Amino acid sequence: MRRSLRQSFGIFISQITKDSMLLVVCIAPILAACFFRFGIPIIEQQLTVYLHEPTILTPYYLLFDLFLSMLTPYMFCFASAMVMLTEYDENMTSYLAVTPIGKKGYMVSRLVFPAAISFLGSVLLLLYFSLTEWSMTMIVLMCLLTSLASIAVALLVFSVSHNRVEGVAMSKLSGLMMLGLPVPFFVLSSAQYLFAFLPSFWIAKLSLEQDLLYFIPALLTSLIWIWLLYRKFERKL
Amino acid sequence: MISVKDLYFSYTKKPFIEQVNFEVESGEIFGFLGPSGAGKSTLQKILTGLITTYSGSVKVNGTEVKQRKNSFYEQIGVDFEFPSLYEKLTGRANLRFFNSLYQKQGDVETLLASVGLLADADKKVADYSKGMKSRLNFIKAILHDPDILFLDEPTSGLDPSNARLMKDMILKEKAKGKTIILTTHNMFDATELCDRVAFIVDGKIKALDAPHNLIMSKGATKITYTYAQNGKEKIEHISLRKTSEDELLSRLLKDNQLLSIHSSEPTLNDIFVELTGRHLQ
Repeated sequence: MRRSLRQSFGIFISQITKDSMLLVVCIAPILAACFFRFGIPIIEQQLTVYLHEPTILTPYYLLFDLFLSMLTPYMFCFASAMVMLTEYDENMTSYLAVTPIGKKGYMVSRLVFPAAISFLGSVLLLLYFSLTEWSMTMIVLMCLLTSLASIAVALLVFSVSHNRVEGVAMSKLSGLMMLGLPVPFFVLSSAQYLFAFLPSFWIAKLSLEQDLLYFIPALLTSLIWIWLLYRKFERKL
Repeated sequence: MISVKDLYFSYTKKPFIEQVNFEVESGEIFGFLGPSGAGKSTLQKILTGLITTYSGSVKVNGTEVKQRKNSFYEQIGVDFEFPSLYEKLTGRANLRFFNSLYQKQGDVETLLASVGLLADADKKVADYSKGMKSRLNFIKAILHDPDILFLDEPTSGLDPSNARLMKDMILKEKAKGKTIILTTHNMFDATELCDRVAFIVDGKIKALDAPHNLIMSKGATKITYTYAQNGKEKIEHISLRKTSEDELLSRLLKDNQLLSIHSSEPTLNDIFVELTGRHLQ
């Protein structure tokens, strides 16, 4: 099982390296991190001078960090969904399920492994490229939650789309899953709870209010999304 | 080798597979014959563990399929109707990858040579013809030397020479003692390859026997002859067994007045239609 999982993940990586679009997708978070870390402060400096305001973007630096923490798992899981859709087109999904990899092994090598790698990538990017101060505990919790939310995104894209073209369109739509991030920053009334079904909303609440209790709804919403979409995913295999 | 008892399965509330019972002996080629949508592929998905939400008992090589572990797949090989190969990889790279998944590994080079693909082994699968993909797909299923092979429409869409090649490869596996489950709607393949066939219609087995027995039990060779009467051509059909009783035929033979005469044996398709009231294709 272990060997077949390793081989299955190996072919997954090999497919990404053979696809220039997916390769760029996986490198994109690093480029975005550089832009956020070095570009945003420069833009802020220019804007404050031009508009004669003390701060413009600075109050939202945490929001940029949140987007950064979500970007790596989101991009990795998008790449994963694209690989799975290609495999689905090539009848590989069903075939791998009747090899020692099995359905569960397939899911682990296509969703859990990429999410685990993106978790590490996300931690590193937040450590070295964040615009605000983060405690190690908060970084780990945040990256764990964003990785789980991204698994839900990958499941959504794969389960709903029939091919890669539909998958790309669906991925754009699934960007709405990140819509919960800015809500606590801009919607201060209780109307913000209209977005409570989105894990990203609770992730933003957790980081903004630094209250660990928000970890629970953030985790639960992610797991519910995963549970609901996994049933659809399993039917498609 | 395979034992199915009181199998029932449904995709919706309406039963799709009902009361299916059969056993397959070791070394046998067992065919599922039926029209599209009859439940053949679903049955094969149940046997290979792709569908586990069935009721009844399905034992493959002593394992209840519902409770299979991943090691179950070391013992079976599956060849789906449509090739399942990584199009961007070469034929050789595909086989090496699949080979690496199993504990018992085959000799990739020998297998490639056995189906005449050694010279094209470094070509991307996307550049292969349909026949080449089918051959590669087949050897992919036997890489780990499985005891049981599940083949879904193995000759579907192949030209006659590639279909012949495929059938020879299947017979070669049978000669090695492998148990083969064949799903097809091609009566000629079933007649030629299978030791026994099960006619499946609407998720039920309507008949199960050796192709020859099925043909002989229901039909006999028929004779068709034509002759001229009042300037018009007339046609008559009789059973071969009743030729001596046919006075008209005796007279026509004696008077040299037959225009044509030929015999025809019933095919598995005729028997299928007779037993199920449905057509295979």
